[in-house]
Amino acid sequence: MDDLLADFVAETREMLEASEGEIIAWEADPSDRARIDTIFRFVHTVKGNCGFFDFPRLAALSHVAEDALADCRSGRREADSAMVSAVLAIIDRIAQMADAIEAGEEFPEGGDDALIAALEPGAEPVETAPDAVLEAAAANGSEPIPAHEPASALLSDSDGASDTAPAVKKLENGPAAQRSIRLPVDLLDRVMSGVSDMVLARNDLAHRLRQAGTQPTIDGPFERLTTILADVRDAITRMRMQRIETLFSALPRLVRDLSADLGKQVMVDLEGGDVELDREMIETIRDPITHIIRNAVDHGMEAPTERRAAGKREIALLSISARQSGNTISIVLSDDGSGLDEERIAEKAVATGLITDAQRASMSREKILQLIFEPGFSTAEAVSNISGRGVGLDVVRENLEKVGGSIKVTSTPGVGTLFTMQIPLTLSIIAGLTVESRGQRFAIPQSYVEEIIHSSSKALDFTRVGETALVTFRGNRVPCLMLTDVLELPNAVSDGADAPMPASQSTMVILRLASGDLFALAVDNIHSHGDVVVKPLAPAIMKSGFYAGSTLLDDGQPVLLLDVTNVAAAYGLVSDARGRVFKSTDDDKEAADQTACRAMLFTDFAGRRCAVRLELVQRIETAPISAIDLSAGSPRAVIDGVILPLIGLPDGPLPSDKLRLLRLTDGSCELLHAVREIDDAAELTGALKPANDDPMIEALTLVDGKTVALIDGHQFFARYGEAPEVVSKPVCRLPETDWAKTILGPLVKSAGYAIAQEPSNSADATKPDASGTSADIAIWFDDEYEAAIALDMDFNTPVIRLRDVPDSSGGAESIYRYDREALVFALQQARSGGGRRS
Amino acid sequence: MNDLLVMAQIAGRRCAFHAHDVSSVIEVGAITPVPRAPDFIAGITAMRSQALTVIECRRAIGFDPGRWALDHRAVVVTVADYSYALRVDAIEDITSAIGEPGHVPGGFGPEWSRVAAGMIETQAGPALLIDLPTLIAGREPFGAAA
Repeated sequence: MDDLLADFVAETREMLEASEGEIIAWEADPSDRARIDTIFRFVHTVKGNCGFFDFPRLAALSHVAEDALADCRSGRREADSAMVSAVLAIIDRIAQMADAIEAGEEFPEGGDDALIAALEPGAEPVETAPDAVLEAAAANGSEPIPAHEPASALLSDSDGASDTAPAVKKLENGPAAQRSIRLPVDLLDRVMSGVSDMVLARNDLAHRLRQAGTQPTIDGPFERLTTILADVRDAITRMRMQRIETLFSALPRLVRDLSADLGKQVMVDLEGGDVELDREMIETIRDPITHIIRNAVDHGMEAPTERRAAGKREIALLSISARQSGNTISIVLSDDGSGLDEERIAEKAVATGLITDAQRASMSREKILQLIFEPGFSTAEAVSNISGRGVGLDVVRENLEKVGGSIKVTSTPGVGTLFTMQIPLTLSIIAGLTVESRGQRFAIPQSYVEEIIHSSSKALDFTRVGETALVTFRGNRVPCLMLTDVLELPNAVSDGADAPMPASQSTMVILRLASGDLFALAVDNIHSHGDVVVKPLAPAIMKSGFYAGSTLLDDGQPVLLLDVTNVAAAYGLVSDARGRVFKSTDDDKEAADQTACRAMLFTDFAGRRCAVRLELVQRIETAPISAIDLSAGSPRAVIDGVILPLIGLPDGPLPSDKLRLLRLTDGSCELLHAVREIDDAAELTGALKPANDDPMIEALTLVDGKTVALIDGHQFFARYGEAPEVVSKPVCRLPETDWAKTILGPLVKSAGYAIAQEPSNSADATKPDASGTSADIAIWFDDEYEAAIALDMDFNTPVIRLRDVPDSSGGAESIYRYDREALVFALQQARSGGGRRS
Repeated sequence: MNDLLVMAQIAGRRCAFHAHDVSSVIEVGAITPVPRAPDFIAGITAMRSQALTVIECRRAIGFDPGRWALDHRAVVVTVADYSYALRVDAIEDITSAIGEPGHVPGGFGPEWSRVAAGMIETQAGPALLIDLPTLIAGREPFGAAA
């Protein structure tokens, strides 16, 4: 029986969610038959299910709603706004009752009769939101707004539903668009941990296979197993994901109710509902998003009359979009309201002692705006019942930071406000860096890691001021914590010779907190980085406050995941005012010390540890496989719209769908070097031992006791380098004939030109200036050109003239149209700036 | 009530866990210590792909574990959705309870009374039935290790 009941509640809720959008759409257009049918089905099903159980009140409510809707369907009654409101009220009540049933509580008596009475034809409208719109509108002295205005605004004009596409489209497709089944989360977790086990077993096997040496008969199937396992793991991870739509679908109703309460008109634009997010994460961001929307509608948006006075549309626009970029999701909430008042925020912050007058004077507008996330801050003079309830923005930020996210705000006065939330894709799988201290490993979420610096590097300038250790990072003094001190790790006890490593020998992990504060964490070693699956820790361990969870390394050994924010907070490193205390110090001293050759260490696809001089490295790029072109003789890749030669690719298929590339430059040429892994930047302090066997290697040297091959930059660029081919090529105007398009065009293109897009109007084609195309060079047929000259036209581009006959006639500077060499030469001449102007 | 019980020696005393609380008995592999955690938490260890919190039961009750032997196996229990591995002197047997857990006038001594759910008669004689949630919560901060 309990199971049945749970199913009933679950089904009711699911249908409610599915019909939420339908209800709003129906309100926009009460005569819409399709919507009525959906809602009718809902109440009908509820009524039917109630028959199974003893829920007389639910049955009675759904019965009257069903009756009223049935009348509408048969045309006996006209659906009006009063009726819509009454049906909505009943549906809300059904939802509340379902909640109460699930919680095993008695739903408070009474109130049902009023709801039922409100559905009677000609009844007084029930006290719900749309009513408030009428009153509010009347109070504002503007013309009465139809009760369904906010909802219709949500969906834009019902005929031209083009601009608010995602939300509307979803409704049109109906809830059946995506088939799904219901699974208990712990079953998913079990499957997931099973797959994790498989990965561990595979790693073990891989280890043993390596020991046994190469065995082609086994290695092949083993590779296959590895690929399959990676696929399965990926799929399982996706199982935990949910479309952010589930969160979005409730928002139109929220905004509708809010705007109706406040007498404002708001249109919601939702975008990116198909972005997927961890289920848990969706729950975490639900409150923050709701809160920001409340704020936006309550404080941000002006009343319709004010908006009209300001020359804006009466209907305010609230747009919410979600986008995935790499391992983070950014959610942008923007409104076109009055914007944030910098002065008021600053005044308030000074009044509450958050900042001093002097600090305020030196703060940028952007900085001042971020103050709204400080604890104890609220600009609303009168706390309304909308945004006054619930949490402040400080809690919003805190909650987001707890899961490794961040939030910031930008705003233009009179134009609007824009909140940007960055949240990690999932709570359970994050990119992590494994570090070691005193022989014990710990994981740090990669999102915090700004840079890793070996502290023997002179640039680091490790000092102690009092008890506090400081390092210099990009010209700033940054506080430094020793992981061993933070965790009170015991000194190495095993062998007396192994004295504790001095801080100046350790590796610094520079961490950036979500608030923007930097600090360094000194660890003994860096191990690896990769995706880690985070498992929760027992409450007794969580209480210590230093750990966010645990994870298993590939060998099955558990490691603790550090809670960076809490560690920083425990040492008082999280405060926005602090950053200003640390002034940048003299950079020149650092530069003077820098005599050693600095190099970027990496591992190439052959597994070789290599180094390349840091001066050659322009940037580290990550390119998708699709950007790489293997069709030509030598591989190439497109980076930022430029085609560059690519070297260092592995033989055979590419290992993943993303590739790490070093973008090397000698000042004019550029080339890309594919690498398996980027290790670190280091100083090459060891002696350089010239290597003669491989022309590509300048020398071998020692870094941390291991050999590293230093790449010979000269050889590299001599052999592979070429000036980047700019994709935005010079434009060439071609004559308006088929011959020019199909035969001349490819030739011009191969000479490095783009073809000008000429209007097809032939009258314009003879007037290059009138046509408005700005070609860098133009090719004209001789006769056309003569005609143009005769018309006294002004050519502001170099012109190449083509003639139809091989022999030059009349001595004019023209080229026979099949004289390929002369044509290419002319094009190249024009390109290098020496274009002939006839 | 004819419950199955997992019998174990903790700090030289015979104790019992309800068998339905015990999910398995494992060989303890490498334990990763958890710095700055309460001292009765020996660390975390991996069971399949799960992380278990290893509880040193003797210390959790309030005794010095150095005085007794240590079983190389551990009892895995699940409390409030978290799994724990309990380290004890020795894991003995599974036996069935005779009758309900009862109390002894005067209690079991301060350390034991805190973690006891009562005394239970078993086929193998009387044993102290352990109340898992209090055991796992550990001693209050004031209780120093004996």
